[in-house]
Amino acid sequence: MNVLLAILFLMQQTPDSLSTDTVEIVRPAPPTDVIAMDTPNDVGGSVSVQWEISEDDGKGLNNVILYNVFRGQSEEGPFDYIGTVGAGRTSYDDQTVEKDKVTYYYIVKAQTKEGVESEASNVASGKAAPQWFHHGRWNILILGILFALFFAFYIRMAKGKELFIRKIAGLDAVEEAVGRSTEMGKPVLFCPGIGYLYDIATIAALTILGRVAKKTAEYETRIIMPNYDPVVMSAAQEIVKQSYTEAGRPDDFNEKDIFYLTQDQFGFAAGVDGIMLREKPGAIFLQGVFYAEALILAETGHSVGAIQIAGTDRVTLLPFFISACDYTLIGEEMFAASSYLSRDPVMLGSIKGSDAAKVAIISVILVGAILGILGGLNIGPFGTWFQSLVNWFGRG
Amino acid sequence: MKERKGLIIGSVILIIIFIGMLIKGEPSKNIMVWIAAILTLSIYSFLYRDNIFYKFAEHLFVGVSVGYSVSVVYQNAFIRRVFDPLFITRTYIVEGQFHILPFLAVVIPTLIGLLMVSVFTKRQAWLIRIPIAFVVGSYAGMSISPSFQANIFEQTRSTLHIALSISSFIMIFGVITTLVYFFFSKEHKGFLGRTANVGIWFIMIAFGASFGYTVMARISLLIGRMNFLLYDWLGVIK
Amino acid sequence: MNFWKKVMKLNRRWIFLLIALAVFIPFLKPLRLPLSITKPAKDVFDAVESIPPEGPPLLIATDYAPSTAPELDPMLYALLRHCFVTKRRVMLLALYPQGAGMAQAGLDFILPEFPDVKSGEDYVFLGYQPGVQAVVMSLGEDVRLAFPTDAYGVSLDSLPMMEHVRNYDDIALVVDLAGSSIPITWVIYAVARYGQRLGVGVTAVSAAQYYPYLNSGQFIGMLGGLKGAAEYEILIQQKGYTEARQIATIGMDSQSIAHLVILALIIIGNIAFFASKSHKKKGTSSK
Repeated sequence: MNVLLAILFLMQQTPDSLSTDTVEIVRPAPPTDVIAMDTPNDVGGSVSVQWEISEDDGKGLNNVILYNVFRGQSEEGPFDYIGTVGAGRTSYDDQTVEKDKVTYYYIVKAQTKEGVESEASNVASGKAAPQWFHHGRWNILILGILFALFFAFYIRMAKGKELFIRKIAGLDAVEEAVGRSTEMGKPVLFCPGIGYLYDIATIAALTILGRVAKKTAEYETRIIMPNYDPVVMSAAQEIVKQSYTEAGRPDDFNEKDIFYLTQDQFGFAAGVDGIMLREKPGAIFLQGVFYAEALILAETGHSVGAIQIAGTDRVTLLPFFISACDYTLIGEEMFAASSYLSRDPVMLGSIKGSDAAKVAIISVILVGAILGILGGLNIGPFGTWFQSLVNWFGRG
Repeated sequence: MKERKGLIIGSVILIIIFIGMLIKGEPSKNIMVWIAAILTLSIYSFLYRDNIFYKFAEHLFVGVSVGYSVSVVYQNAFIRRVFDPLFITRTYIVEGQFHILPFLAVVIPTLIGLLMVSVFTKRQAWLIRIPIAFVVGSYAGMSISPSFQANIFEQTRSTLHIALSISSFIMIFGVITTLVYFFFSKEHKGFLGRTANVGIWFIMIAFGASFGYTVMARISLLIGRMNFLLYDWLGVIK
Repeated sequence: MNFWKKVMKLNRRWIFLLIALAVFIPFLKPLRLPLSITKPAKDVFDAVESIPPEGPPLLIATDYAPSTAPELDPMLYALLRHCFVTKRRVMLLALYPQGAGMAQAGLDFILPEFPDVKSGEDYVFLGYQPGVQAVVMSLGEDVRLAFPTDAYGVSLDSLPMMEHVRNYDDIALVVDLAGSSIPITWVIYAVARYGQRLGVGVTAVSAAQYYPYLNSGQFIGMLGGLKGAAEYEILIQQKGYTEARQIATIGMDSQSIAHLVILALIIIGNIAFFASKSHKKKGTSSK
């Protein structure tokens, strides 16, 4: 049935099937000034056809509803139908070009609602060709290289000497929280959220886990860690084991305390909730990637009276953590905290590098704001400078 | 004892309201609606206390959602992308000729993907790094340039789109002070510290707005269920 | 015990009950509180209105699951009604596994109102494809790369509506209905890369996060939460397009009352917090 409908529709739509014996055909004016050229900034295989709209498109007889584009191998034709765009449009990208660097010929016809086509437009010729560079994206390349240089520079520097990163408030609380858990004789719960090993926040969480585990090893406190992802779980086991070894208590490490729960979001939340209610941990770390389950976890943790230290890069969930937890690492603070703890030169260098990038952006905004104000007050050429700055950022 | 008494009185009131609605409204004749309604009420019973109805509904939900996701991904990823091209539509055979490239285009990614399973072994678990490296590497490559454009260029441009108005100054001020808060290379003291403090205010106001929206969203979910119970199930409202 | 202390110790079940009543009662006794139409919602509506009827399609991505359906379903219904009444073509797809089910349920709910609307001619339901970024990008090349067939297994080439639809160039507008961060993917890969026009319908949880994208023009408009859905319902009703039951608009009374209750609770809670705190202080100083 569908095929039949499709055929019927095609018959109705194909311009060739127009009945030519109808007496009164009022043809719309054809589009004019057709040009064809290689579509810029692509991998080839595409020619852009442009034209001026028909005299009867939106004015005149006002009966044009679409434009049909045709392509031929020679200037004389024959021309095959290749595509259609709606009225008011003045371009079509022919992406069905088979060979690059071969000249193709195009004509465009306007068509009315009744299916009446205009005469053919002038014939335009063009070739497709690939480009190595997207010329509209120089701005991204320049800024990308600049930022990459910042990173490279600082990572190199970090390998030579220790770079300074300010202390993060939430980090000092780690010791306090583990200490209090120990005093109360309660375990510490570390929840890595529902991220995977390729999420930056999960990686940062694992670095923080290393620090927490070292403290629990020193204080001889049990650490419990339910997991959402098996890969994260095995990574976490390795990290905790290493921390215990570093703290000189490899025998205290219990692999079974770092276990897999489930990979269902709310199933995981319900499971962690259950653990909180049964084990009543003295300190809870909610670090990593969280979604809607964040509030459920943080609320339950709050209700069992634990000190809670949260951290995530998910902006929407930070408010929950801030309202229900004692300390929260906000977004990038979490990455900074993990670099601060790990002292890994690559991580430290990237934090420094992104700081440099921030300085660059702040300067651009400040310069832009000053130019904008001066331009707004019509002082000197600042208005045009401002506009070109804005345009530079708007390219591509 | 007092709580038990309250519970009994509460249940009786709820049952009376329920029967009243059954009589007054037009209850659904669809068994699925009844099942959905009973499961909804079972979940809401958690608001009073964890209980067997809640546990049943929750486990059912976890099981069903996992089963559903597995079947959808199996059908759309494995069947449509691997099984069909290899055995049914045979995209690698064009006009009776075997073409190696389209064949490998299906087989190689499938094999790399299968390495994910290596995580279940102790010794070969490192093999999982190969598919993860592919995913991380290709996504980073694909997304660096567009995220630069979407998150840095467009956002800087729109911040710069200033008019001589109070709101655009507040915006620029907010953007800069927030960026300063996330500046880690210097201790937050003196001028920098004061600027960062202003930044944290902006962040907190933004979080407040977000929180407000969240409250709205959660209430909406309740409204959605209430609409279901009262309209679809009991038919007491128009 | 001091009154404020009692308030602080109030069993949370009473709060649950209060909220339940605040939502329940307006359903039985509708107040019809007036709703204002915000610019982002009007922009989405105008963008759909600007699509020529029987012309290039509107692409609706249903990237949500039942957990956010109360907010996003009404948006889907309103958009589908808007398009079907005005003979605008619709493509539906899902980048989220459960999204396909949501789109199908939405079609099943709306289609009985429009017996003339046919699959393949007036709308195409493409189903779900895994690999979010890859799918969004491939739509910029050719829809058929990601979706060789529609959700019912019919080849796209045999569907009349898809004859002239190849990639974003032929899609008038994308509206992403999402309960997650998928709109960002659309911005990065469809807007930044291919210059596609994008409107979104999002849950209220994530609406605040998306204002920067709205502000910068990367979203042409936005429907935020139930309020956004209600605004769209009102917009299509004002045009006289439909007289169907408007779920979101009905729910907004409950929403407003519940917000008032919550505001009151916040104020009372804060007073109680500070009052019991100062009480405690007095207690210790008098010792």
